Amino acid sequence: MSVNRFLVLSRTFPIGKQLLPSHLRHVSKKAPNLQQRKSFQTHSRNLAYAKDLFLGQVNKSEVFPYPEIGNEELEEIKQFVAPVEKFFSEEVDSAKIDQEAKIPPETLNGLKELGLFGIMVPEEYGGLGLSNTMYARLNEIIALDGSIAVTLAAHQAIGLKGILMAGNEAQKQKYLPKLASGEQVAAFCLTEPGSGSDAASIQTRATLSEDGKHYLINGSKIWISNGGFADVMTVFARTEVEVDGVKKDKISAFIVERAFGGITSGKPEDKLGIRGSNTCEVAFDNVPVPVENVIGEIGGGFKIAMNILNSGRFSMGSSSAGMIKKLIELTSEYASTRKQFNKNLSEFGMIQEKFALMAQSAFVMESMAYMTAGMMDRPGVPDCSLEAAMVKVFSSEAGWVCVSEALQVLGGLGYTKNYPFERYVRDCRILPIFEGTNEILRMYVALTGMQYAGKVLTGKIKEMKSGNITLAMSMVGKKLKSSLGASVDLGLTGKDGVVHPSLEESAKKLEQNVNLFGSTVESLLYRYGKTIVDEQLILKRVADVLINLYAMTAVLSRASRSISIGLRNHDHEVLLTNTFCNEAFFKNNYLMVQLQKHAPENNDANIKKIAKAVLDNRAYICSHPLERTY
Amino acid sequence: MKAPLERLGWSNNDAKVYYNPRHQVLRHLQSSRACAKSRTTPARFVDEEEKKRENSLVTHDLFEQVARESKTKATFNKVIEVFIKRDIRRRGHVEFIYAALKKMPEFGVERDLVVYNKLLDVFPKEVFVPRNFIQRMFNHYPRQQECGVQLLEQMENYGIMPNVETKVLLVQIFGEKGHPVRKYQRIMYWFPKFKHINPFPIPQQLPEDPVDLARFSLTRIANDLDAKVTVYQLPYTDMTESGEELTLPHIVGIQSPSQMELLAKHNLNRPVFVEGPFPLWLRKTCVHYYVLRADPKPPEEQVEEPYDPERCFDYPLQLELDFDRDLGDNEDFDVEDLDEGPVYAMCMTSQGDQATLNQWIAGLQQNNPVLGQVPALFRLEPGPRELQGAAESVSGHSSRPHPDSHVENAQSGEDAEVILEEEARRSHGMKQ
Repeated sequence: MSVNRFLVLSRTFPIGKQLLPSHLRHVSKKAPNLQQRKSFQTHSRNLAYAKDLFLGQVNKSEVFPYPEIGNEELEEIKQFVAPVEKFFSEEVDSAKIDQEAKIPPETLNGLKELGLFGIMVPEEYGGLGLSNTMYARLNEIIALDGSIAVTLAAHQAIGLKGILMAGNEAQKQKYLPKLASGEQVAAFCLTEPGSGSDAASIQTRATLSEDGKHYLINGSKIWISNGGFADVMTVFARTEVEVDGVKKDKISAFIVERAFGGITSGKPEDKLGIRGSNTCEVAFDNVPVPVENVIGEIGGGFKIAMNILNSGRFSMGSSSAGMIKKLIELTSEYASTRKQFNKNLSEFGMIQEKFALMAQSAFVMESMAYMTAGMMDRPGVPDCSLEAAMVKVFSSEAGWVCVSEALQVLGGLGYTKNYPFERYVRDCRILPIFEGTNEILRMYVALTGMQYAGKVLTGKIKEMKSGNITLAMSMVGKKLKSSLGASVDLGLTGKDGVVHPSLEESAKKLEQNVNLFGSTVESLLYRYGKTIVDEQLILKRVADVLINLYAMTAVLSRASRSISIGLRNHDHEVLLTNTFCNEAFFKNNYLMVQLQKHAPENNDANIKKIAKAVLDNRAYICSHPLERTY
Repeated sequence: MKAPLERLGWSNNDAKVYYNPRHQVLRHLQSSRACAKSRTTPARFVDEEEKKRENSLVTHDLFEQVARESKTKATFNKVIEVFIKRDIRRRGHVEFIYAALKKMPEFGVERDLVVYNKLLDVFPKEVFVPRNFIQRMFNHYPRQQECGVQLLEQMENYGIMPNVETKVLLVQIFGEKGHPVRKYQRIMYWFPKFKHINPFPIPQQLPEDPVDLARFSLTRIANDLDAKVTVYQLPYTDMTESGEELTLPHIVGIQSPSQMELLAKHNLNRPVFVEGPFPLWLRKTCVHYYVLRADPKPPEEQVEEPYDPERCFDYPLQLELDFDRDLGDNEDFDVEDLDEGPVYAMCMTSQGDQATLNQWIAGLQQNNPVLGQVPALFRLEPGPRELQGAAESVSGHSSRPHPDSHVENAQSGEDAEVILEEEARRSHGMKQ
């Protein structure tokens, strides 16, 4: 292939180095595939959209056109949606669930009858067998009640996922049918008092019994959703494994039935929101688990846990979007009827701004969520964990802002229990916390991308460090060119363009951002190398830029499709897209300017200093303004 | 009032003093009418004393008389009142003030602002305020101004901040632009700025109880909010059956969770050391502490924990890149790191012998079982008892008192004054 020949050439003839930079873009379009296959053997996917952004590339075939579902599938989903919607509007009393901190059994039975306990379980095991996209669609409705959404998510997004993803045929046959019907409820037991993300501090231990037929599990797990009544649990515990003749502790995953005995659940936690969901401590005391209940192989629990966590997140985008859409309905009615100074609230600019924000956030979340779901539904086992994490971070934060703004529209009324807004605010607060806190997900997003870019760029950076003048000069030249306003063309618009011409300006902004992002990442790698792991403030900005870029891509792709096939109100989508892209463009530029600066200039040094002073004293240390010294 | 000639002579002198700061210092060192500053040569000491008697025979007697009864704030005030009432012209008030300033520590009022103000009130009002530009240009009533400055200076040395009353008095006595008012302004400029300059303030009154003092000192050294103070033994005096007095020393220790963690990881084959006593100065008091420490790990034992890629469920803890941080972003200072070895715990006791410290180690062992398996070596220097006196006599000069220096113990009776002198000297030094 020409790439290889080119590399060989460049090695043989020193003059090739001179050619390299100018051809780099050309080459690297194909190069990542080679690189990736080498470095990420576990991931079967060749192409990845978000990771390529770190190289300043838009892998447009991944995200354009916007993923679609077939007509039959659409019909099918509509059939599912209608009764669920009806059920949630008529049978579910969210206020009561919140107040009594319990989902009534009839409601749970209703959910089971609708099949909502096994949305993604294949039909052969008695589930609905729906795709990720359809799951996301149903979640839009389910999210109208936070408690139910969390209960269902704990059951099927993480609880039974282990069996579904890594279980063997016998395990699937044995457990999935009952779980899918809701006869049994699942839970996911990973977190421990001393261990959140840290696998090394997991204390729960599984020891093989003398006859070798059972593992005995001892330990306790905290914050287990559905922990009070789950019949089947995916439990992660430390096991002794022999690796190359050395005994080592490794995490393994087990299917544990409550019926095995020795399991006690603590008192349900009294929570701020999602009060109807059951969260409690689960203690395991010599619970005998048959060896055939090990998920995957013994010692392979880490990967399983990671995959389950990574796969469950994408649906939060559609959930939040569903919630915001509902809130818009509720608040707009109030804003259009409440009069002040002979004017409706809706005529005031500051109120209008809130509605614009809500509509835009819902639009962006929806676009991101369904784009990611569509990517995940493609054949193969695509790794969309980065994208899913971004959807989660964006939608949980925007969701929180929107809910609070919706409450603000109603003012004091919103603050009372007469309206559901305060409940939404409380329920919504969990979103940035669970399924991986946003801080941790930002680290994941930024570091995964950095690792990818670092592998691809290693050669180049090393050469730059060793002082290759021609390379350095060409870099300077490139920077100069772009700073002089040479337009960046990554192929979104123009002859082979994929973005509709009416969105050209926004697409250009995306391209410009992506290009700048690529060079920013390169300079960050050059500056920090592997110590970037410790630069959390920088990684946070990197993650934020990436999230914005992905969001821009999603809305551009979605709006382009809407225009092209003439969906109703697509002009509104164009409006939202352009507004969002404009906003995100400026935010990104600001973030990237900060990224290019050094710690003393971008305030990072100050931030750390302030925090240190406060944390060293564990108090706010300024003197009171009323203090005096004379 | 003094003879005009003499006044003239003083004023010349003082003009020099005030406009040339160096001279001021010089003069301060030579004469010591305000307070005993340099008592190094006995010859001069006698000389000064005579001079004093000459100047302020009357006032001196006054204080002596009162002092015979009791030395309190009330009697001090009484003396001032007696002086004020004695003569409407306040004859000899400068001498009186100088004498009073010197006597203040004796009466225990050297930190009392009210007394200073009262003393200032002894000056007749409006007499020394310059009335025309010539008076203003030259040093008007220099002896009185000098005396006012001296009073403020003593306040300064004791860290007493003047208040508005002081200012009003000074303005009434010396006028808006007199030297004492200037001095007042300078004090008011710097004092508030320096009031909280010490990030580790020591209270004016240290706790009396040795256990409380130890608790305070240990938390001060440890500087770790998690560190836990344990009283292993309270001081206790008992009479045995044979009539012997048995005194048990207090043992107060401190240890933080991170220290416990370090200790738990201690290599069992290597000893831990109990070392001390080390001095800690809290204003004028010196206390001593002991540490439990170990030698730094030899390089061959320092194994870095290998990176476990299956450590974090959510994100990579390390990147597989083979280039490091670039120089431009390396903000570390180039400091030579010297590994001093871990300190596992600290304690204070009134009796630093091995038996007492052993008791401390035994107490520590309850929470640090590893101490039962590790040999503990005692590396103790002569106890604090002999050191205490020596330390006091060389106050502030060396942080580590030398056992030899107890020769100077003879002076320890004058401790308070010596320290006072010390402080005064130090503050002069600052002013230069």
